[in-house]
Amino acid sequence: MLTRLLYLSTIWFALSLLVTLAVGSRLRRGDFVLSLIWLAIIIFMGDILALLTFGKFLEIFGLSWFTFAFGLYWIIRLRDWNAAGQVTWAMTVLTTILFMIYAFMLTAFSPLNPLSFIFALVFFFLEVITLFLALAHMHESLDVICRLQWHRLLDKLEPIPDYEPMVSLHVPAYNEPIEIVQRTLESLAHLNYSNYEVLVMDNNTPLEETWRPLEEMCRRLGPRFHCLHLDKWPGYKSGALNFAVTQTDPRAEIIGIIDADYEVDPDFLKELSPAFANPQVAFVQTPQDYSYTKKGIFSESTYRGYKYFFEVSMPSRNERNAIIFAGTMGLIRKSVLEEIGGWDEWCITEDAEASLRILKRGYQSLYIHRSFGSGLMPFDFEGLKKQRFRWCFGGIQLLKKHWEALMPWAHWVDPENKLTFAQRYYYLVGGLGWFSDVFNLLFALFLVLGAIFSVFSSPIQIRPLTNTILIIPAVFLFLHILRFLWVLRNRLKISLGMAVATMYNFFSLGWAVTLACIQGLLQREGVFLRTPKSKTASRIWHAIQVTQWETTIGLICITAGLLAFTTNQNWRTFSLCMLLFWQGSLYIAAPAFSLLSLGRETALAPHVNEQGRPILEQRAARWVVAVSMILIAAFSLLKILPSPAELPEYARFLPNDISLQQLLNQSESQSTDLPTATITVASANCRSKPRGGAEKMTVFYNGQQLEILGKNADLNNPWWYVKIPDSSENCWLWGMTATTSGNLEEIPIIE
Amino acid sequence: MSVQLSDEVSQLLEDAEKSVQQGQRETAYQASLKATGLAPQEPRAWYLRSQSAASPEEQLICLSRVYSLDPAFSDAKQELRAAVQGLLKQEPFLAYVHETEVLYQVRSNLGFLVNIPKNRVFEKPYLQKEPGPLRPIFGWLYLSLFGLMLGGVGALVLAPITAFQALRFQSSPLSRGDQVRVWILLIVSFLIWLAAIPISLLLLIRIFS
Repeated sequence: MLTRLLYLSTIWFALSLLVTLAVGSRLRRGDFVLSLIWLAIIIFMGDILALLTFGKFLEIFGLSWFTFAFGLYWIIRLRDWNAAGQVTWAMTVLTTILFMIYAFMLTAFSPLNPLSFIFALVFFFLEVITLFLALAHMHESLDVICRLQWHRLLDKLEPIPDYEPMVSLHVPAYNEPIEIVQRTLESLAHLNYSNYEVLVMDNNTPLEETWRPLEEMCRRLGPRFHCLHLDKWPGYKSGALNFAVTQTDPRAEIIGIIDADYEVDPDFLKELSPAFANPQVAFVQTPQDYSYTKKGIFSESTYRGYKYFFEVSMPSRNERNAIIFAGTMGLIRKSVLEEIGGWDEWCITEDAEASLRILKRGYQSLYIHRSFGSGLMPFDFEGLKKQRFRWCFGGIQLLKKHWEALMPWAHWVDPENKLTFAQRYYYLVGGLGWFSDVFNLLFALFLVLGAIFSVFSSPIQIRPLTNTILIIPAVFLFLHILRFLWVLRNRLKISLGMAVATMYNFFSLGWAVTLACIQGLLQREGVFLRTPKSKTASRIWHAIQVTQWETTIGLICITAGLLAFTTNQNWRTFSLCMLLFWQGSLYIAAPAFSLLSLGRETALAPHVNEQGRPILEQRAARWVVAVSMILIAAFSLLKILPSPAELPEYARFLPNDISLQQLLNQSESQSTDLPTATITVASANCRSKPRGGAEKMTVFYNGQQLEILGKNADLNNPWWYVKIPDSSENCWLWGMTATTSGNLEEIPIIE
Repeated sequence: MSVQLSDEVSQLLEDAEKSVQQGQRETAYQASLKATGLAPQEPRAWYLRSQSAASPEEQLICLSRVYSLDPAFSDAKQELRAAVQGLLKQEPFLAYVHETEVLYQVRSNLGFLVNIPKNRVFEKPYLQKEPGPLRPIFGWLYLSLFGLMLGGVGALVLAPITAFQALRFQSSPLSRGDQVRVWILLIVSFLIWLAAIPISLLLLIRIFS
């Protein structure tokens, strides 16, 4: 029953999502009755499909009513969304929960040896976290596209006459070439605002020739500009910014942070300062935009990738007062910054960390959805990779420091913690979201192992590869990819091709993010990634070398997939091959983008912040390789430990599998096909009676095909009565050890 | 911090203050110079000396000294800021020396050692966070969770240990936050133990069947 309900729910999920992808962004009207009608239509359409194929009326009827009630709950909860979004969300949650139950049942009741069971359990827990993260992404996507009413999103503030609080703009610089800072400072000199100062904080730049010109430029730009060189200063950028607070004009009420490579719009302060008339507003953030000209796939997809956060995540977070202060192009109330103790000099994403501490005190934040300036993007893939490593590392540091403040019991532990449920959720998901790439790598490893075992005709014994466990995750993966592309296209207004490139740009950084997650958990102090150095002057060779690990992983995935399929051609190995191709393509995208970034010529390359302790990529990667080897060794042990000799009693609780034929209702069209069972496990005992303890008559091996002559009456624990090849005898084969094909409807029940 | 001043120092400070008010800079300077010599821990003496200092550099050093002796001396704080600004206009170079919860000590390119007020509350750095009394119990809790993921049997043993350790702390004098944490540890370890029962049963069946 569970399996059929899961398939039914998946149909609802797929139907509702596909319709949402088609019209969800255009549906600008919301109505309770309309939502209910849409919910009923989706349920009805799914029911019809299920009834025509695998479904049973009573089960469908029961689940449909439950789903209607469940959908109703979400329609009431999500009143600001359109019907498409509400129904899709309800179906996504339902399907995810059902799949989790199915995966647990399969893990718990499969006849596995103890070690396989432990592996299966760990895999199940990872699966649960991954599904939770996928739900979070779905929620965010629907929230920004299917939302009919924005309560807090603004792109312009009402000006307040005679309100012009003093603003101190802090420009941190480290080893920045004067050509880059010059443009920033000149743009700051032309702001349409009278009451401000600019503090340029150069910290730890080793050469005096680099920072002295900054000082001269500040003198030239007038009395508003002050330059300070901090020598041997601890705390990196945060240390410099904290010192800047001491040098801020006492009359300043607001502090603005501007990166040294940002050109700022003249109206930046004029437009944003009115937000601070409300004393509860502690900080205001605007999108970080980048100077960009359409010069190739790398730069455009990178640009779109940056935009994603400010077009999707920030508007969604802003609705719940849960945005992050992203540092540059944001303003923060000075008194609040002093109240929280300044910037954290330990965390390398000090801006996001500070915003969490501010929100903890119950202040308001505001996101203004309008760009007020543009900076420089990393020059090449190597720079992008290092930047992403830092961001992720900082995110993990933040999570390590504040995890308790994000827990459900946080208010009881610290009554001064005023974070709302939504704020805690967004910050928790924001931190955990980085681990998606770690799970992705683990998933790739699992698939590669599956392929290796398949090549040697020895299926991986973690849990049975039922049709359901192959089909449903593949459907999930496919639909979530479509959803991601849909969000990219809709929010960033880009073509499908560019959406695909942007998606690959995201995923190509998965290796760097994985390393950062592991280092973030192991290291306490801030570190930066040091990529391998080339021994030659060739840029092409260097571009390949900085992505050597991604290339290796990608090639391993693709080769393993090809080997699995060519040695054993069936739809299972084909699915495995496709999944490995997909995984491999995500990693192979890294060298592709690295090579594409070579074409990006620019006179001004932004400075890559390399403050902290260096972490050599080679060394960090060796840890990953070592862990992978341990996993492979442990996997090998699975083969040493024997599988249960007899069919255990608990196996009767295993959810039934549904064959492809049943799913597609091909039983009639293939009525002439002989019913056949194909062995899917390494070896399967065939017995004299349909029960585990019965006499063993023979053993069949993986891939062996057998003619089915009959079946038992127990639908929950199916056994097939099969013909023993080259023999006049027949025996009973347990249903979980084989997949079936052909016309199963007319098989007689043998008592 | 004002200490018990001798009559001589009190008299010198009074004289210096009067002289400052009357614009007699040299007299004020001599009196305050003598006062700082006799009572180097007296912030007012340094402040009065800064008011009549012969050079901006000396003024800066005196104000810096005042601030390090009494961070609540508000006049000195404001004037120190102005003096630092004056210094930085000449030479915008400061090298880090050390810092406390309330001030930075820096060295200028001209060789002055200056104290600069932080003007913000002190935030305990994460790395220097002292381990709380419940830290070992959290360690047991993490082990229990790990045990739960690895088949549940470990959690069956470790979760009660976590709960036992938490119970031991219940009678200890703890902060309010830690008292709540003890309860949470108890509840979470109980939930882990409950979840571990069926999972470990499934594992044990596989081991012994």
